[in-house]
Amino acid sequence: MSKEDEIDDRGFKRDLLASLPNLRAFAVSLTGRHDKADDLVQDTIMKAWANQTSFTAGTNMRAWLFTILRNEFYSQMRKRGREVQDSDGLFSERFSVHPEQYGRLDLQDFRKALDKLPDDQREAIILVGAAGFAYEEAAAICGCAVGTIKSRVSRARARLQELLGVSGEGDYGPDAGDAAITSRAFGS
Amino acid sequence: MSDDNRKKQEMTAIQPPEVRPGAVQPNASISRKLRDFYDAVQEEGIPDRFLDLLERLEQAEKNAKSVNVK
Repeated sequence: MSKEDEIDDRGFKRDLLASLPNLRAFAVSLTGRHDKADDLVQDTIMKAWANQTSFTAGTNMRAWLFTILRNEFYSQMRKRGREVQDSDGLFSERFSVHPEQYGRLDLQDFRKALDKLPDDQREAIILVGAAGFAYEEAAAICGCAVGTIKSRVSRARARLQELLGVSGEGDYGPDAGDAAITSRAFGS
Repeated sequence: MSDDNRKKQEMTAIQPPEVRPGAVQPNASISRKLRDFYDAVQEEGIPDRFLDLLERLEQAEKNAKSVNVK
């Protein structure tokens, strides 16, 4: 990015706002729930605001915010223990609240599969595959080696394929609905 | 069409497709679902509570500054 050196209070808020939808999607991915995710985002905003002098202007604010949120998430988890146990029940509950936003059955199955991944694999594949970070940035956010991130991402992919019953067959074409129908037809 | 031929055709149909330009790889399907899921949350936008929170933080900072000036 350019001209980030001109950052001031306004710039900080503007950049923070610009990162929020992505940050919030990361929080939902980590917690599996919107209400918990929003609490986590709120804590992250407060932390980020209080520590804005420690943010180096011109560096990647998104990565900085993700790091804060991730640290906050794991420290809260250590304190409370993970409350999300019955993930299937929770997810169906959430989806019945916002069915219009997650209309595709496909997506619900995907979220359930995602929640079955170990935390380290889930965050790795989300950071690299959805949030748009390079392996190097994801490694910095998670505080681990680039090779570790790469292997977590590939294990996460393999596990998701297994959970979703995705293989080379029937898993191509523009529409997932068609693919599902096709695989059902072949399956019976 | 003889039975033999039909069998042959079915087998061909089930075989994995060749990799051709624009074809979606198995991993690409996972990646697409991942982005669909993620984008669905992103597209919800920013809840008001965060806009309010930032507004309050900004105001508190301004107030603190004006106190310092005095």
